[in-house]
Amino acid sequence: MITDVLHWAALVLCAVATLLRLPGALRGRGRTMCGVLLLLTFAVALSIEPLYDAVDGMLGGVNAANLLLRLILYAVLALLGVRVAAAFESPLVRRLIAGPFGLAVLALTIASTLYFFLASELPGSSVGLNDFLDQATVQEYAAVGRLYPGYVAACLVLPTARSVIDGRARTIHRTAGGLLAGGSLLVVVFVVLRLTGLDLMTWNVILPFSAILLMVFGLFLIWLSHARSRRRAARTTGLA
Amino acid sequence: MAVAAKAFQLWRTRIAPQDTVTEVCRTAGIKRSTLAQQLVRGKVAVSTVVAIARGYGLPVVDALAEFNGFEDLPAGVSPPTDAELLSQVSHIDILRLLVARSDDTESAWTDEELGLAPFPHTGSVRAWIEAIDPGDLRQQLASTTGVARQNLSAQLTAGRLAPWIAVEAGRIAEVSLASGLVVTGLLTPEEGGWPENARAEALHSVPDLELVILARDRLDVLGKQLRRTELDDRRDRALWENLG
Repeated sequence: MITDVLHWAALVLCAVATLLRLPGALRGRGRTMCGVLLLLTFAVALSIEPLYDAVDGMLGGVNAANLLLRLILYAVLALLGVRVAAAFESPLVRRLIAGPFGLAVLALTIASTLYFFLASELPGSSVGLNDFLDQATVQEYAAVGRLYPGYVAACLVLPTARSVIDGRARTIHRTAGGLLAGGSLLVVVFVVLRLTGLDLMTWNVILPFSAILLMVFGLFLIWLSHARSRRRAARTTGLA
Repeated sequence: MAVAAKAFQLWRTRIAPQDTVTEVCRTAGIKRSTLAQQLVRGKVAVSTVVAIARGYGLPVVDALAEFNGFEDLPAGVSPPTDAELLSQVSHIDILRLLVARSDDTESAWTDEELGLAPFPHTGSVRAWIEAIDPGDLRQQLASTTGVARQNLSAQLTAGRLAPWIAVEAGRIAEVSLASGLVVTGLLTPEEGGWPENARAEALHSVPDLELVILARDRLDVLGKQLRRTELDDRRDRALWENLG
């Protein structure tokens, strides 16, 4: 029940956040972030059973949609990671994500994802590959799929959390930083808990989808503050 | 910090024995609900006392002296020092005077003729604190009032200072006790014993060298402010350009 609410809430929030940015993106403003949110919306949609079944049916019913979901998520995390690192002025984190090491982690993740996907027997659409979890390769496939998001989220926790304690920053930006930090932290907690082998049950959904809600809302606040600043007449001098 | 509601009620019935609370509020030009709320909380704002004293034509400084913490106020009122007066002149006015002197055209002798910006303004409180600071004013203020230093800094940054702290600063720095209430805008300059045109006269008596140094210090402060603003702007832009 709660998992359904979270799924749909995340989908609606992502879709709304994308639509809000669409007019600006059509005029050439913030195209990357609009694209990131659009991809995220698509990824969230692919986590919901009826939508997954419909899309996978079109792709041949061999769970290629799940592979697509993984690859979309990697793209979202990579782009978002670079942008957040730049926005919060952390060159180190930017290098960790877009530098040689970060790209190597990404390449390794994509290669293993493809390998484990091809090595698994996946006849018939099943959201989250839930029907095939008894296969070792499917379990590896899922574990690898959490690796890269966990890595990027771990990189983002500190720079975003640091902005919360910056007393000189705008309240809306500190709040946004806090939401992004909270979202990243939830992803890290989720990935670490999965490594322990505990049975998380509904927390398997609650943790990652709460993270999505927090982060998308944080991005919305930054978009809002930007939109408001554009509406105010640009001040050209600090002397007046 | 405010005055106790009980002491306020005693004072009110003494200065206006016939008037109801509603009439007192009308005379003072304050909202009845505001005063009622303050009375319920047991603390009446100093600004309320000031407004009522003004409404009944009483000397504001004497009225405040009726309350705990302000008893020594009337005896402690003296003319402001030159440093205090100069702290309330904006950097633009100081630069204008510097230019006038350089052109040998300094002539005006009143605030109005000099075109001095009215005060207090947003930087008034901090400038005043810096002007009267014997060296460790902030520490002493923190220890005698029990208000944490970060809290004091926050008040100064916001251009505010609680009345009782402003008076205490005057006591520590041994300047007029009313000055703090003037620069925080609670009292008018006349009520606080700041003579008319005192700022213009203080400016005129500043020798050339000191005027130049004063202008330099003010520009220094302005430069630091601008640098901070630009840093903040850069951070905002980084967020907007990357995530907006």
